Amino acid sequence: MNVSTHLAPELRSGSQILIEALERNGVKQIFGYPGGTIMPVYDALVGSGLKHYLCRHEQGAALAADAFGRVTRRAGVCIATSGPGATNLVTGIANAFMDSVPMVIITGQVPSPLQGTDAFQEVDIFGITLPIVKHSYIVRSVSDIPHIVNEAFQLAENGRPGPVLIDLPKDISAGMGDVVYTPPQAWPASCPPDAEAMQTAAEMLSRARRPLVIAGGGIAISDSVEVFRKFIDRTGLPVTSTLKGLGVIPPDHPGYVGMLGMHGNGAANHAVQNCDLLMVVGARFDDRATGQLAQFAPSARIIHLDIDAAEISKLRKADVAIVSELAPALEGIRPEQTANESWRAQCAGWTKEFAWRYDAPGKGIYAPKLLRDLSRARPGDLTITCDVGQHQMWVAQHCQFNDPLQHITSGGLGTMGYGLPAAIGAKVAKPEATVVCVSGDGSIMMNIQELATLKRYGIDVKILLLDNSALGLVRQWQEIFFEGNYSEVHLSDNPDFAAVARAFGIQARSIKEPEEVGDALDWLLNTDTAAMLHVAIDSMENVWPLVPPGKPNHKMMRSNS
Amino acid sequence: MNHTLTIQLSGSEGAVIRTLGLIERRGFGLDKCSVGEVDSSGRTMKVQVSSSRPGELLKRQLERLHDVFHVELKPAKPTKPSRPGIRPVNPQNR
Repeated sequence: MNVSTHLAPELRSGSQILIEALERNGVKQIFGYPGGTIMPVYDALVGSGLKHYLCRHEQGAALAADAFGRVTRRAGVCIATSGPGATNLVTGIANAFMDSVPMVIITGQVPSPLQGTDAFQEVDIFGITLPIVKHSYIVRSVSDIPHIVNEAFQLAENGRPGPVLIDLPKDISAGMGDVVYTPPQAWPASCPPDAEAMQTAAEMLSRARRPLVIAGGGIAISDSVEVFRKFIDRTGLPVTSTLKGLGVIPPDHPGYVGMLGMHGNGAANHAVQNCDLLMVVGARFDDRATGQLAQFAPSARIIHLDIDAAEISKLRKADVAIVSELAPALEGIRPEQTANESWRAQCAGWTKEFAWRYDAPGKGIYAPKLLRDLSRARPGDLTITCDVGQHQMWVAQHCQFNDPLQHITSGGLGTMGYGLPAAIGAKVAKPEATVVCVSGDGSIMMNIQELATLKRYGIDVKILLLDNSALGLVRQWQEIFFEGNYSEVHLSDNPDFAAVARAFGIQARSIKEPEEVGDALDWLLNTDTAAMLHVAIDSMENVWPLVPPGKPNHKMMRSNS
Repeated sequence: MNHTLTIQLSGSEGAVIRTLGLIERRGFGLDKCSVGEVDSSGRTMKVQVSSSRPGELLKRQLERLHDVFHVELKPAKPTKPSRPGIRPVNPQNR
């Protein structure tokens, strides 16, 4: 008699099924914080193949997952309990949404029968996050878990990436089921670029007298950097970059005119304002990039390449739109000729004219020069995560990036507090990189608790803290646009940041003299554990140039006089 | 301008509120709305919206939602927006 070797499906908890589904989707690291309704998942986590990083605030976990997603181009995963755990994730979710970052968020939820009763730690996180997710789910059955997890990863990572939330009621995570994991079906390939539109674009580029390309963050997101560089080398077109496009083109490339926008380089802004054809690749006409929209590139016709049809003609009408993956479109656009010599020479002239200068007067440490020195100290090997404010703009202006993944910055949302958790996510994603978090004295305090995460896991992140004892960018605006009426921007009562770092078990040094910079940077970069270099800088230093709000990009202020 | 859209969407939890939320958030006043019953192919929602923003843009933004299967946009009728809602994208005001 034959004995069947087929075993009855094993009864497992929803949480065990969830953990398996995460592992099957290639997840190895997750960032999170436990609590009441997510406890069944944390129970199943023990002994699983997933490495969990306990951040010290759910916002830290979400922002770490965001940076992990940027660096790996796979969804970063964060996990939190219901109620305050879930709401603390919200800023991180919005950050990922605004910058098109793949992320999967798992929140605990009160048991289904208690939903809608104002139960302890109940919030409608599904409802709260509707405007800031690519998609979201409330799991209603244990048997739905594998399918939902698979689809969440596919949605987060395909097309224009974004965050996907899975809200998991406790009766589901603790409930039992005999669910067998089945892999997802392949995601449908995106449509190829329209041949006629590519031909029209090529003809427009051939005919244009002053063509210019904007390199956007979409080029990095879609891993199209090499194809883009080949396109630029083949066509000889001058290029500017958005904040998120930094590094798409090497900064010393002869056709590169720098970053455009509010704190962009004069060469880039003059090139944009004078071009007669603008080819926008993976960018979305953000107001910080365009200045006054009605006068942005006023003489230019527009070719817009993007994976997201909803970005086409949202803010600036496209004369030709190509909605597809960027790489095949860039390969398919073959102009017969481009850019006359006089236009190229004019762009090169602006680049020379507006080259950054580092001979600023003043006795103290000049942050732009320090940042240039930092990026020269480790070319190619440095990943810089930023917080938000003056230091963020100085990083964009003065650090040299040869790869967009070297520059992890909160572009769309502008999240103060991003830098430190982002550095954790970036270092976990890429342990071989030298990861430096460049922060300010305002921003660092927004997620300073993550110093404990560095210490706990021995994560070797270097922190360069530029301390001007102020909320510098707000102070600068109050100086320029509010007649010096300073309101709640002075932080002269900051804590002793080096002492704070040491209290968390992180080595730290403080400097305030320019002659200390070289030695201190050597120390920071060559210390073999996490370390903080606290740098006191002039509280009245401003970021220049500045395009005032409501002005076109060529109306740049270069000083407040 | 008034725009009339017929939206085929999923019958899954949250699909209606996600779709309506997007319409208002993207600067379109919701003048009329009817939501059909769920059947095997999901459900149909008809909306009339008013905005100075182009209806084509709303159509593409709706089509981006995973819950939305198909959007049909009827040609716009020029009228005054019935409600102020979100201000139009007016570069002069930015």
